[in-house]
Amino acid sequence: MFVQINDLHFSYKGAHEETIKGFSISITKGEIVSLLGDSGSGKSTILRLIAGLEMPNQGVVVVNDCVCCDDCQFMPPEDRGVGMVFQDYALFPHMTVEKNIRFGLHKLNRKERNARVEEMLALVNLTEFRHRYPYELSGGQQQRVALARALAPKPALLILDEPFSNLDTSLQHRIRDDLRRLLKQTGTTTIFVTHDEEDAEALADRIVYLGEGKIKKQIMTENNKTFNPQIPCFV
Amino acid sequence: MNWHAVKRQLNGWAILSFLAILLIVLPGIVVLVELFAPVNDNWQHIQEYLLPRYVRNTLFIMVATGVLTTVIGTSLAWFVTVYDFPFRRFFKWALILPLAIPPYIGAYTYHGILNYTGVIQTTLRNQFGITVDQSYFNIMSIQGTVFIFTLFLYPYIYTITRAFLHNQSSSMIENARILGRGSWDIFFTVVIPISRVAIIGGVSLVLMEVLNDYGVVKYFGIQTFSTAIFSTWFGMKDTSSALKLAGTLMILVIAILTMERLVRGRKQFSYASTKVKPLKPRPLQGWHRYAVFAYVSLVFAIAFVIPFTQLTAWTFLTFDTVFTEEFWQLVWNTVRVAFTATVIILLFALIIANYTRLFPSNMTRVISKVTTLGYSIPGAAIAIAVITLFLWLDDKVLDLARALDLSQTFVFRTTLIMLIFAYVIRFLAIGYNSIESGFEKVGKSFTEASRMLGWNTVQTFFRVDIPMIKGAIMSAFILVFIDIMKELPLTLFLQPFNFSTLATQAFKYVSDEKIHEAALASIVIVLMSGLLIFVSHKVLDKEAD
Ligand SMILES: Nc1ncnc2c1ncn2[C@@H]1O[C@H](COP(=O)(O)OP(=O)(O)O)[C@@H](O)[C@H]1O
Ligand SMILES: [Mg+2]
Repeated sequence: MFVQINDLHFSYKGAHEETIKGFSISITKGEIVSLLGDSGSGKSTILRLIAGLEMPNQGVVVVNDCVCCDDCQFMPPEDRGVGMVFQDYALFPHMTVEKNIRFGLHKLNRKERNARVEEMLALVNLTEFRHRYPYELSGGQQQRVALARALAPKPALLILDEPFSNLDTSLQHRIRDDLRRLLKQTGTTTIFVTHDEEDAEALADRIVYLGEGKIKKQIMTENNKTFNPQIPCFV
Repeated sequence: MNWHAVKRQLNGWAILSFLAILLIVLPGIVVLVELFAPVNDNWQHIQEYLLPRYVRNTLFIMVATGVLTTVIGTSLAWFVTVYDFPFRRFFKWALILPLAIPPYIGAYTYHGILNYTGVIQTTLRNQFGITVDQSYFNIMSIQGTVFIFTLFLYPYIYTITRAFLHNQSSSMIENARILGRGSWDIFFTVVIPISRVAIIGGVSLVLMEVLNDYGVVKYFGIQTFSTAIFSTWFGMKDTSSALKLAGTLMILVIAILTMERLVRGRKQFSYASTKVKPLKPRPLQGWHRYAVFAYVSLVFAIAFVIPFTQLTAWTFLTFDTVFTEEFWQLVWNTVRVAFTATVIILLFALIIANYTRLFPSNMTRVISKVTTLGYSIPGAAIAIAVITLFLWLDDKVLDLARALDLSQTFVFRTTLIMLIFAYVIRFLAIGYNSIESGFEKVGKSFTEASRMLGWNTVQTFFRVDIPMIKGAIMSAFILVFIDIMKELPLTLFLQPFNFSTLATQAFKYVSDEKIHEAALASIVIVLMSGLLIFVSHKVLDKEAD
């Protein structure tokens, strides 16, 4: 499996109870998985554990054959090759759109970097906004910058935390179709978190229902049938 | 904690922070250890005959200053925030200006104004033929000390309370207004209770300054802990007893801080809602308008305009004799040493604040507390502890040099290192607090975003964290720089031979009864501080938008 997570346990400092109690999942390359659950069910926490921003009490995270974390090692977030789109986007306010996208490309040489920035700007349709600062953009544009910035270094895995929560409804519908097309176009393996069933159905290949820190059930969506029929469906 | 949790804690940030903390607590340890050392005869004498007086004087000054600064500071904050009266916007920041006048400069200026040859008595004698009873005009008393501290320290309470009222209370005050409560009523039933935490914070700053002061009480001849420590140390040459006095003083400080915690209760300076709605000031009608204006103007006049004018006059009087080549040297010394210490403080503050922010745990909470402890240790205690430490260090270096047969050795206590070290201990808290609140304001998500894009904590620190808190760093720089420039006791006792700053030179003139000659150095301090205070308020105001 491309992404393999086994028996993840985690509790916040000072909390009596574990927030995550034995979360496991396997994801194939290029699949889009949605984590669906009520607010406070631990969706963001799972993403932060995968990203390496929190350290689990126990459990294994493997991404693209690279052991990010198990009982004897913990790889810092910068080495994991995981891209993340934050709920509030966290665009650097002191950098322009272009600089934000360029920020994660330090491992490429100059020529490749420029080419990649152009490619990403074109992909999210923001070429003419490249010199703007984040506060000069609309919510939808900011979200596209955040996406471009996260995709630019070609992460093995992309995670998105409630990507639509800051957008109004009409925008939300348009963007989620665009987003799915974009993710499929780049073949990006994706986990995204939402509390909106409709979003999950429109965007994901598989929906994972989360409750009390564990998986409750999983279903394949309609999208999946046209995309990747060989994934087994366990209910 | 499992094994890699431990490993994660032990990173470069942690190690640097531990080293910084170690340096800071070292003098405190020296003082506290001495407290338990065997006593000598002199200490018994001090304890029996002198200590009660030091304690009585110190406590009287603290209580009286605490009460008066609270009354003046909160009333001014209330008027400026809630009412509209002539020149309100000017007073809003002008009322902070007395902070630019260090209390020892205020003390000698007022003595110069009020004494027999001063401007008031001379005018009365020459113009009106009146000779007054000197005892009415003698400011060099314990009451005079309280007067001086009140005038020049109330801005601590004023600024904190005003910021709090401005940001925090608008909805509550507006509600109370709608419910038809009168202003007095609102002030006592709403404003005082809700801003209690802010006021207590301001008062404890004032009290720390009072305990730290050496210049005022020395000049006025009042026996307090500060003067006692230095006279025991230099007069009686009894370092051990001086250290014991310093230790006693530190225990007093710890008691105050504990009391502050208890009175404050579980409340912190937390902002309940993120959306702050500033209060709209209400125009005053009739005589109230002029009464408020008169009160505010009076405070501003006594605490700033009058002493400033007097200093200016004296400066012109003595300019030709005082303004020499050496004066430039003084300015250069002051700026150089303040700048160096400020930069070191900011480096420490940034490292420790970033560590405590990135790896929150019980350990980092303790570190954060310890970092801010230095500000509450009075200068006299820090000075003697630092000297004791460096004498010991020089001894060790000498031993080492002998063992290695070196002809030359390095002597710390004749260098500026000792003074700068003491500044770092005392003022780290100031820098740390503003940088910590800067970090708090921007949150952690930008740092996390940067790490998700492949940069480690050090690279992120330089590329994201520092640019994001530029404003906080700037205002930290200004606050620390002002404090070091004005500082007296540490500089006085730890400056190397043949080295003086504006502050110590002014104090030397005053000690030699050359009050007028001290004016130029003093006014340069006041002008530079005033300017920096103005700039920092511009920065802070811009940050708030
Ligand atoms: N930094 C934190 N410290 C302590 N508890 C937290 C922290 N962040 C989240 N929690 C708690 O963990 C649980 C799961 O939170 P989260 O993962 O943010 O849920 P979701 O994203 O599904 O809304 C909640 O009960 C929340 O209160
Ligand atoms: Mg969440």
